[in-house]
Amino acid sequence: MTDMTVPARATLGTASGLALVALTEVAGAAFLRQFLLVDDWRAVVGLLALFGGALVAMQRLPAIEAGIEQAFGANRRFAVLLGVAIVLAFPFVLQNSSYALHLLIIAQLYAVLALALNFQLGSANIPNFATGASYGIGAYASALLALHWDVSFWLALPASAVVATIFGFLLGIPSMRTRDSYLALVTIAFGVVVHQLLNNLEFTGGPNGLVGIPAPELFGHSFASPLVIFGHSLPPQANFYYLSALLVGVAILFAGRLHHSRIGLAWNALRADELAARCQGINTTWYKVLAFAVDAFLAGFAGTIYAFYVGFISPDNFTFLVSVTIMTMVIAGGMDNTLGVIVGAFLLTLLPEKLRAFSDYRILFFGITVIAFLMIRPQGIFPQRLRRYGG
Amino acid sequence: MDPAIILQGQGLTMRFGGLVAMAEVDFSLRKGEVLGIIGPNGAGKSTLLNIITGLYVPSSGEVRLSGELLNGQPAHRIVAKGIARTFQSSRLFADLSVLDNVIIGRHTHMKTGVFDAIFNRRKADAELDAAAEIAERLLKAVSRELHAQRHRPAGELPQADRRRLEIARALASEPKVLLLDEPSSGMDDADTDALMDDIRSVCAERPDLALMIIEHDMRLIASLPQRVLVLDYGQKLAEGTFEEVRLIPRVQEAYLGRKGAQHAQA
Repeated sequence: MTDMTVPARATLGTASGLALVALTEVAGAAFLRQFLLVDDWRAVVGLLALFGGALVAMQRLPAIEAGIEQAFGANRRFAVLLGVAIVLAFPFVLQNSSYALHLLIIAQLYAVLALALNFQLGSANIPNFATGASYGIGAYASALLALHWDVSFWLALPASAVVATIFGFLLGIPSMRTRDSYLALVTIAFGVVVHQLLNNLEFTGGPNGLVGIPAPELFGHSFASPLVIFGHSLPPQANFYYLSALLVGVAILFAGRLHHSRIGLAWNALRADELAARCQGINTTWYKVLAFAVDAFLAGFAGTIYAFYVGFISPDNFTFLVSVTIMTMVIAGGMDNTLGVIVGAFLLTLLPEKLRAFSDYRILFFGITVIAFLMIRPQGIFPQRLRRYGG
Repeated sequence: MDPAIILQGQGLTMRFGGLVAMAEVDFSLRKGEVLGIIGPNGAGKSTLLNIITGLYVPSSGEVRLSGELLNGQPAHRIVAKGIARTFQSSRLFADLSVLDNVIIGRHTHMKTGVFDAIFNRRKADAELDAAAEIAERLLKAVSRELHAQRHRPAGELPQADRRRLEIARALASEPKVLLLDEPSSGMDDADTDALMDDIRSVCAERPDLALMIIEHDMRLIASLPQRVLVLDYGQKLAEGTFEEVRLIPRVQEAYLGRKGAQHAQA
């Protein structure tokens, strides 16, 4: 099988490969733009049908998927550069819609949270229902630092990630005494405890939360003011769009590097067979706690950006339901597949917003999505891939 | 103590509540030796392997590797000290590639931590690529057919190849002692013959490697091990060469029942 792919890869390394990469990325971006700007729910359903059709086509004709995958593999640098360019240019094609930018920011923060959870649920099969709590801990830690000690956003960002990581460790250690459904219960309990504490403690503002978190500043430019680039003025949300896009980039980098290393392999071994993993010399307890810590670290980052973006946080932003939503994104998108998890996060953030006509049924909608995916495509939109070695 | 003895167990006893799964078992294993362990189902063979590999902590008695006490050490540390094993029902990482399975076997020889993986990519990649290269060589040495399938998920392999892969994965940790738990179970005669050839070539390449094989297949037990240890009801029944052991009436009883043993001797 491998012998056949070598000449194919060589031919796709040329112009046609570049064109395929460019076409895929531009088509993806154009689809996202349409999806963000469309209003009528019928048009939304139409776009969804298009997306579903593309997925079915890929499943029916694996050659298309393999071709795209090969083109991306052969033109990695070009794909990354074009991707970055598209992300940078994207706010300019949104007709200055601050609502579309807002949706993008939230979707990107959820993408980071889903990538964080993917280290556990996807790589190591640890059902952690406390990612929302880590998100909240990050948000509250940075907000408290900013409000009480005037700590700037740029310092609060790493500080709150460290705080969230410490809590992640604290959750991880007792969780090691349990597994499977019992482990899930421990994490649910942790999430509830965090929510209750935020709700009842005085210094977290109780149910009213924390108000008046100042907007970040960078070189004298306030993130609350419009962003002017080349004489083109973008809504203030564009500041946070770029910031959260950067965080998604960092999360992708983390995910890719950890996945393709001894650590990712150890997590995967743990997922497949814990006893066999121990007998290969893998300290399973340590790797599980590590997965908790990495999850909390990234979630802490996302929480900080959220707190400074919205300027007001309350315990209700970080309920158990948030954790369930994040878990849905990972399952629907594709366990242990970075692209899949991001697509899942975008889809499940944007869809409920776009289908506002049915907003009362949002929870029902999540439930149906999970059941549908587990039945039709249990591996998710983009399933896990085997690793490749030596270029 | 005999300096050639690499692994030694003394007075090993394992109680699960009121059940005594193993009582006062002694054994020793020399460098380069193949020791067979036989006994009827429930005799305590797998219990012995689980004690040696740290999955069980014995109620009393001790296990020593080159004189170093192993009791109470966690399983992952015992692997690092040089004891690798396979499982009776092969426990591969089914959704990972064949190659990944063997690379994971090299876990204890790699050092990459989180910070290296993220910030020192060059070092982490170099280490992983080196491990992949060693894994490829190992697969090729164990079986060329298996090597040709190295990019397939391990779960898709046929039974005989799974066993080979388990052996390759165990060898990847460069063990001093290799424990095989019923390597031929579920195999037909042709596969078992191929397996015996594989084990012989593994031993020929590693003259110092000590092997402990739990088996039911008497053909394998008759030809591979230099010494055989018989367990029954968690106790050591006999020890010696296969030729000696098979003539002992109590061993025949354990396998054939009292009547069968009388017939066999008659």
